Amino acid sequence: MIVKLIGASLILIVCTVIGFEISSRYRQRPKQIRQFRTALQALEAEIMFGHIPLKEASIRLSKQLPSPINQFFDHFSRLLDISDIQVKTAWNNSLENITGFTDLKKSDIEILSQFGETLGKHDRYQQQKQIKLTMAHLEREEDEALDLQGKYEKMVKNLGFLIGLLIIILLI
Amino acid sequence: MGIDVGLIFQIAGVGIVIAFINTLLEQINKKEYSQWVTLFGFIYILFMVAQILEQLFTKIKSVFLFQ
Repeated sequence: MIVKLIGASLILIVCTVIGFEISSRYRQRPKQIRQFRTALQALEAEIMFGHIPLKEASIRLSKQLPSPINQFFDHFSRLLDISDIQVKTAWNNSLENITGFTDLKKSDIEILSQFGETLGKHDRYQQQKQIKLTMAHLEREEDEALDLQGKYEKMVKNLGFLIGLLIIILLI
Repeated sequence: MGIDVGLIFQIAGVGIVIAFINTLLEQINKKEYSQWVTLFGFIYILFMVAQILEQLFTKIKSVFLFQ
């Protein structure tokens, strides 16, 4: 009886935790997109008003920004230290580096990597236009992510718990 | 009789949980999934009921046909 009870509670806890994990993915995505937007805004300010080289700008950004995003800029600035690397390659490489521990979707990453293509190719005003464009894209993605969050976050949480309960009832 | 009470509770539990999952799925307009969930729950309970009915029939047979 005791063993049964322990097993049942383990199943319930595991299913609930899985549900919470998936729902936190829905919660984190709009947050991280917003962080990237702030990062781009800061980058625009650094480029337009600070006249700072990209490497130092990204070092600054990595110090300013919150956790998952600052690792991206940290990695990016360290890659730019390597002498003969293209900005585009460094940007894409850093993006691949953070896909593992952020909850961004493929489409978000794609927008950012398209921005990376333009980085360092134009003069300041062209660059500003590109940043504005990317920010508009990201805003659209954020709206969509918020929509999904409102729809699925609570549902997934409850569903994890209920499926755990169902498994227990079926196994008893 | 002891086993039967547990079984009835099990059926009730499955029904409640499936009803919850159903309402959750219908809230987010996933009618097709909710129908599948209902169907599978129904089939599962049907199988359990069939097993109990089989026990009942063998018991009746053993009473009236003296097997």
